[in-house]
Amino acid sequence: MSTYVLNLITVRLLIAALTLLIVSFAVFFATAMLPGDTATILLGQAATPEAVAGLRSAMHLDDPAYLRFLRWLVGLFRGDLGTSYVNNVAVADLIGGRFVNTMRLAGITALFSVPLALTLGITAAMFRGSLYDRAVTILTIGIISIPEFMVATSAVLVFSVYLKWLPALSFANDVTSIGQMLKVFAMPVISLTFVVAAQMIRMTRAAVIDTINTPYVETALLKGASRPRMVLRHALPNAVGPIVNAVALSLSYLVGGVIIVETIFNYPGIAKLMVDGVATRDLPLIQTCAMIFCVGYLSLITLADIIAILANPRLR
Amino acid sequence: MTDRTLNWTPSDDAMVENAIRRGATRRELLHMLLAGGVALTAGGAILGRATSTLAATPTSGGHLKAAGWSASTADTLDPAKASLSTDYVRCCALYNRLTFLDKGGVTQMELAESVESADAKVWTVKLRSGVTFHDGKSLSSQDVVFSLMRHLNPDVGSKVNSIAKQITSVKAVDPLTVEITLANPNADLPTILAMHHFMIVQDGTTDFSKGIGTGAFKLESFQPGVKSVAVKNPHYFKSQGPYLDSFEYFAISDDNARVNALLSGDIHLAASIKPRSMKLVESQPGFALSQTTSGNYTNLNMRLDMEPGNKADFVAGMKNLVNREQIQKSVMRGLAELANDQPISPASIYYNADLKPKAYDPEKAKFHFQKAGLIGQSIPVVASDAATASVDMATLVQQAGADIGIKLDVQRVPSDGYWSNYWLKAPVHFGNINPRPTPDILFSLLYSSDAPWNESQFKSTKFDAMLVEARGLLDQAKRKAIYDEMQVMISEQAGTVIPVFLSNVDALSAKLKGLEANPLGGQMGYAFAEYVWLDA
Amino acid sequence: MTPSVTLAQKFGYRFSWVGMIGLSIMLLWGIMALIAPNIIPHPVGEIVDEDYFGAISSRFWLGSDYLGRDMLSRILMGARYTVGISLAAVSIACFSGVVLGMTAAVVGGWFDAAVSRFLDAMNSIPGKLSGLVVVAAVGSSITVLIVTLAVIYTPGAYRFARALAVNINTMDYITVARTRGEGLVYIIGSEILPNIIGPVLADLGLRFVFIVLLLSGLSFLGLGVQPPYADWGALVHENVGGLPFGAPAVIVPSLAIASLTISVNLLIDNLPQKIRDRSA
Repeated sequence: MSTYVLNLITVRLLIAALTLLIVSFAVFFATAMLPGDTATILLGQAATPEAVAGLRSAMHLDDPAYLRFLRWLVGLFRGDLGTSYVNNVAVADLIGGRFVNTMRLAGITALFSVPLALTLGITAAMFRGSLYDRAVTILTIGIISIPEFMVATSAVLVFSVYLKWLPALSFANDVTSIGQMLKVFAMPVISLTFVVAAQMIRMTRAAVIDTINTPYVETALLKGASRPRMVLRHALPNAVGPIVNAVALSLSYLVGGVIIVETIFNYPGIAKLMVDGVATRDLPLIQTCAMIFCVGYLSLITLADIIAILANPRLR
Repeated sequence: MTDRTLNWTPSDDAMVENAIRRGATRRELLHMLLAGGVALTAGGAILGRATSTLAATPTSGGHLKAAGWSASTADTLDPAKASLSTDYVRCCALYNRLTFLDKGGVTQMELAESVESADAKVWTVKLRSGVTFHDGKSLSSQDVVFSLMRHLNPDVGSKVNSIAKQITSVKAVDPLTVEITLANPNADLPTILAMHHFMIVQDGTTDFSKGIGTGAFKLESFQPGVKSVAVKNPHYFKSQGPYLDSFEYFAISDDNARVNALLSGDIHLAASIKPRSMKLVESQPGFALSQTTSGNYTNLNMRLDMEPGNKADFVAGMKNLVNREQIQKSVMRGLAELANDQPISPASIYYNADLKPKAYDPEKAKFHFQKAGLIGQSIPVVASDAATASVDMATLVQQAGADIGIKLDVQRVPSDGYWSNYWLKAPVHFGNINPRPTPDILFSLLYSSDAPWNESQFKSTKFDAMLVEARGLLDQAKRKAIYDEMQVMISEQAGTVIPVFLSNVDALSAKLKGLEANPLGGQMGYAFAEYVWLDA
Repeated sequence: MTPSVTLAQKFGYRFSWVGMIGLSIMLLWGIMALIAPNIIPHPVGEIVDEDYFGAISSRFWLGSDYLGRDMLSRILMGARYTVGISLAAVSIACFSGVVLGMTAAVVGGWFDAAVSRFLDAMNSIPGKLSGLVVVAAVGSSITVLIVTLAVIYTPGAYRFARALAVNINTMDYITVARTRGEGLVYIIGSEILPNIIGPVLADLGLRFVFIVLLLSGLSFLGLGVQPPYADWGALVHENVGGLPFGAPAVIVPSLAIASLTISVNLLIDNLPQKIRDRSA
């Protein structure tokens, strides 16, 4: 078994490197297709042709875009993430603290939302068709139907403006005690949980129900085995594949998609950095952020695939 | 009609206060109130309230947290590159200018002791003595030469390169005297030097991340796109201020989040809030609003050299189709002053008060469109969130057009790249122009035949000649006469509709004192940090 | 099996009452979307109320928006975009995702690897970047919008469907079918699909919700519904300033979105047994 998984991981790592390369090219072409470059964007309304030319040469943007991209790529292999065009700061320095912030927020949200979602999804499947099941369905769909910015804004209005229990802004650097940390992370984590939990709850429920319907589980049920017991003993192991995939897809959102939560709680993470990078056509910054999102996504789904394979002996 | 005073809000008080500062007479003020729908009896009470501003004594100490609305990795401490309001605020705290504009729009001396000229062409600047930079070095004429000349170097990427081009040389005469020579006479130089980009930096600076200037605050930390922290400069050359011990500045781009952060007590000042948030701020105790109308506007441009703007009747029709009062009332919720299709705001001494805004007249518009043969044709109008409120203005005009059979196809395009892709380029599009301190700058940038931002491609040799003539005149009355006529020309001949001047409203905690309106923009012309204090 | 399920099975295509409610709400919105231009009380772009964020009144049944426009008219017209565009996009996304997913699971090998990695790569490109590129490259129209939304949500549908199909593909009856010499179309259509249709539909229901919400996000990139019209998500967004005042202008469109998305998912959860569950 372990050799199989090891082989799989090796192959996946190679493929992942290839995927990263493809993504990197795709991002390069996408950025190149966008109108304007860093010099014209920075000058904005003041972008006269000579000013653009001057700034371009001062920022060393005279070389063709593909050359700069290839140089960045070569640097990447040497572990150099390049230098931001707009402020001449090393991309690694720009990203450093923010990356930690993003991972911290994602980690806390995952710790909180995954157990919650799995419990709700599995219990809803156990009691399928019951009032409880329907309530869970309506609540989960109702909650994700509310746009993220509205959830976050309402939370701030209630807990910060009216009740004054929690701070409206989450400065990651101001945290010195656990109590403070809870306060600072409470609202962003709850807002994000609202967004990511629904997919996990719904998919878990659907996958478990689907396996309950397989002949051998049905037979066991007819023989008089209790439904909850059947779900836990037989249905769940067979549903692990789809469930971990749903969890991986949901969690991948936490790496790069939390721009609204970052904006509303003024939380300095890498989603905002990516948006800034796109807005200023800052290729090294865009590329590095895209690589981070891609690595995050690939690790999550590879992990999901491995768990799925381990859980279903037939897949080996 | 007395119940209409219910519409009167504290922000309107701020507007009245503002007008008083500008030197409006009581009669003008009452007229303003009537226009706002306030009965005369109530009007007197409001005036009384607004004129009794508190004469408070500043207290020292405290840590100020304030939030602007825009920040990105492109945040800079290089005054020449400053482009976002957050950059202006930071630069104002760290550096000084040779001159600055006070709340009445009058030019005052800052690092300069005097800026004088006999012919408006060769200017002599005397510097204050004993001014030091944060690193201990003394301010000398070499720093001024460096600070001004760098705008001429295209590699710097200065935002005021086109304005600075009139400077032919800057010479250090002695350690405290600088001689500036212009290509042509320009009587406005002292006011031009009050622009934020002309802040004085240290000779030879290439790395601006340290923020070493002569300003009221010394930089402690700065992370582009995140925040900056600055502490009091104990050796500040002015006798008054700064009062704060330290000053933290960052941006919250979401309008509601910014207001909420203020209301929850996380910050002391939320810059530039939306008109519709004022109700919320006013409903909570312990907060105040500060309103400024400084000449910022969003305008509709019709290029005169392209279809359909090349038809004079189309342009005339559009000017009649824009309902200025409705834009002021519904889009801006009163946070705007009616404008008359020319860029000089009522706050300027050169404003031509005889030039009235065109009335909304759909019948007349229809007549013009019929004459131009445009009824039933679909005309694209480009709007974007990049130009403040332009999408709302566009839908208003679109609806007015639909009522008379004109089909305006409003195209909302991305903010991203708007200024390089659509502005100045699309046949009918919206623009947004920030306040500039002098009519000369506005006209040269926007309306002269060779203007870099000639939004409607308006060309007039007569206009160009008048512009050059007025520039060299040191006699203010003569200049005003020329500028008055130029305003009429723009209003009637250019393909531009300037419906209203937009007001800026900053919301602040009642603990924050000393913030006043300033003609250079909100947040006291972005320079509030050194003037404000926190009440214990 | 509970008695009610047995009953439903007996009567064939009978909906449970919850499913009926879901279906009726969907139909109601569908009809509204079709007849909206004929029944709206005011033009969607016209300012009819001096006040803003107006309350519910006899003149404005659902209040007025941030400019003073009639919310009832805006919501009814918005239904055309939210219902129409989202349904079209989710159908395309799920159809292509599921077909590709099942094919990849059955064919396996290099085809599986290639499709999987390609879609992974696509999913890794930041959405805002791709949105901007689309606007820059092909401009904005409703068709472009639908295709963009479909493309964004295909990889997710693919991944989930593939994970389900891979499990089924290992079952003995698939091997039997294979040795019988059945073609690919038969295997995925008659053997795999019926066995994964439940979760696939649940996934579709969820993707529908995501698309409804993303729609407004794209219109802020300039790719989407153009003024004066607005989809429901955009209505919530443009009126979010009314939240502190509890303005109907922000609450009603949110409720409209919730009613539509909840009813779609309730319907999916309560589809007649014969459609919903395995037919094997």
